[in-house]
Amino acid sequence: MDNPVKIRVENLTFSYHQTPVFEHINLDFNAHAITAITGPSGRGKSTFLSLLNRLWESQPFAKMEGKVWILLDGQWVDIYGKTLSKPDLRRKVGMVFQTPNPLPMSIYKNMAFPLKLTGMTEKALVDAKITAALRQAFLWDEVKDRLHDSAFGLSGGQQQRLCIARALVSQPEILLLDEPTSSLDAGAASVIEDLLVRLKERCTLIVVSHYLDQVSRIADTALKLEARGFLPV
Amino acid sequence: MTRVTQQTARIVFFLSAAVSAMAAALVFGFLLVFGFPLIGGGEFFSLLARPWSPGQGLYGFLPMITGTAAISFLSIVFALPLSLGTVCFMGGLGPARISRLVDGFVRFMTGIPTVIYGFLGIFLLVPVVRTLFTSAGSGMCILSASLMLSLLVSPTMIIFFKDGFDSVDVRYIQAADALGADSVQRLIYVILPEAWPGIVTGIIMGLGRAMGDTLIALMIAGNAVHVPGSILDSARTLTSHIALVSASDYDSLAFKSIFACGLTLYVLNAFAVIAVRRLGRKRGPVR
Ligand SMILES: Nc1ncnc2c1ncn2[C@@H]1O[C@H](COP(=O)(O)OP(=O)(O)O)[C@@H](O)[C@H]1O
Ligand SMILES: [Mg+2]
Repeated sequence: MDNPVKIRVENLTFSYHQTPVFEHINLDFNAHAITAITGPSGRGKSTFLSLLNRLWESQPFAKMEGKVWILLDGQWVDIYGKTLSKPDLRRKVGMVFQTPNPLPMSIYKNMAFPLKLTGMTEKALVDAKITAALRQAFLWDEVKDRLHDSAFGLSGGQQQRLCIARALVSQPEILLLDEPTSSLDAGAASVIEDLLVRLKERCTLIVVSHYLDQVSRIADTALKLEARGFLPV
Repeated sequence: MTRVTQQTARIVFFLSAAVSAMAAALVFGFLLVFGFPLIGGGEFFSLLARPWSPGQGLYGFLPMITGTAAISFLSIVFALPLSLGTVCFMGGLGPARISRLVDGFVRFMTGIPTVIYGFLGIFLLVPVVRTLFTSAGSGMCILSASLMLSLLVSPTMIIFFKDGFDSVDVRYIQAADALGADSVQRLIYVILPEAWPGIVTGIIMGLGRAMGDTLIALMIAGNAVHVPGSILDSARTLTSHIALVSASDYDSLAFKSIFACGLTLYVLNAFAVIAVRRLGRKRGPVR
């Protein structure tokens, strides 16, 4: 618990269709650590992650109160405030989903996608960033000869690492992972576990996981989501 | 479902597909049988290229072919940005509540009879065109007809486009959102390429409606029987021609020639569909 705090959730209340999912939650997350969130299905784990990158806002009839702060360049930034645009926030706070979600394009184009969004066009720079991110995600050696093949030709584990790499290409400071290995076999899952531990030096990670053994292997802090809120495990 | 009901369902659907295919073939055959003898051996194309002048024994449809082509093409040119813009608005650029209103309005518009559009054209659009463009004469011209026609075909196109938009996998949209795409980028880079087949279908259906519509061109294109030289010229479409000729007599050579006219329309429509399909074939990204 020596790491400084990176994310601060303050008095957060959230509901779908007036049914509360969270009420008055206060929570801190440490920088460069893996915080695991466990808990029964339907308790709000995915919803909680979506509060940290504002992805919930596309859902109709969802309502949030409270504040979420993240520490960027020594400044506490209210992610729902005006200083940070939503696209910029999502580049700082990357997200990886339960089932790998590559876009229907080549591996290269998937990787270049976040850069294209920022208007980065210089080929040499784009290539360098893509290579670096693929290496960080332990994927480079497996795809370097087939970058222009469809991303759907990769195995499930490779697709998930591609999604991690694609999030890393924007150099996020926080990475949210929603049950990232639940659709994968044990071998592919263990590669990703190793990868996540390595990524601590670059990012602050929050990982939702069903598997208690996985939590004990990778997490620095574990939280359990119960009906009343988060409890330490 | 049990096997028997599944079998029955399959047979019923097969039969309905067969009947509609047969109907299309039958119409074609009918036009061929009635139109062909008149056209005579091998003279079909020379007949198409001739002017229409029954007094001199000339029954060519070249003016009507150009009229139909110009009016329907131009109406799609006007309707495409309008429809695509509307669907983009409903597909995330506009607020959800207003989008639902627009959606309802579009569905309502598909039910408005063509003659209403024709009336609106005569009383609202034609005078405007007449005042704006002095060379448009009475204002009854290709431009007026295709503008009005674009309003008629837009709802059809919008409904097909929207189907295409709605069929886009939500996971792609979620991926783009989570990677920091704004709503315009999401539309351009993810939704439009994925919705492309729906867009092509929408254009084909719109074009079909535009080419097949009779009343709007009949009421506001002016019906002149010459090959139009500009969009401000009066023109007659194949469909108006059929309507006008068949309303005036039924035993002359002119009347018999309209079977060939129908055949021409049929073929023209088929060519248009093939052309749009070819143009719209997805060359895009590897999947
Ligand atoms: N878009 C939504 N609209 C309404 N209710 C939702 C929506 N998404 C999730 N829920 C409900 O919110 C609760 C929490 O869901 P979720 O965050 O997916 O839980 P978990 O990830 O822990 O399984 C569930 O009861 C779920 O049914
Ligand atoms: Mg979940």
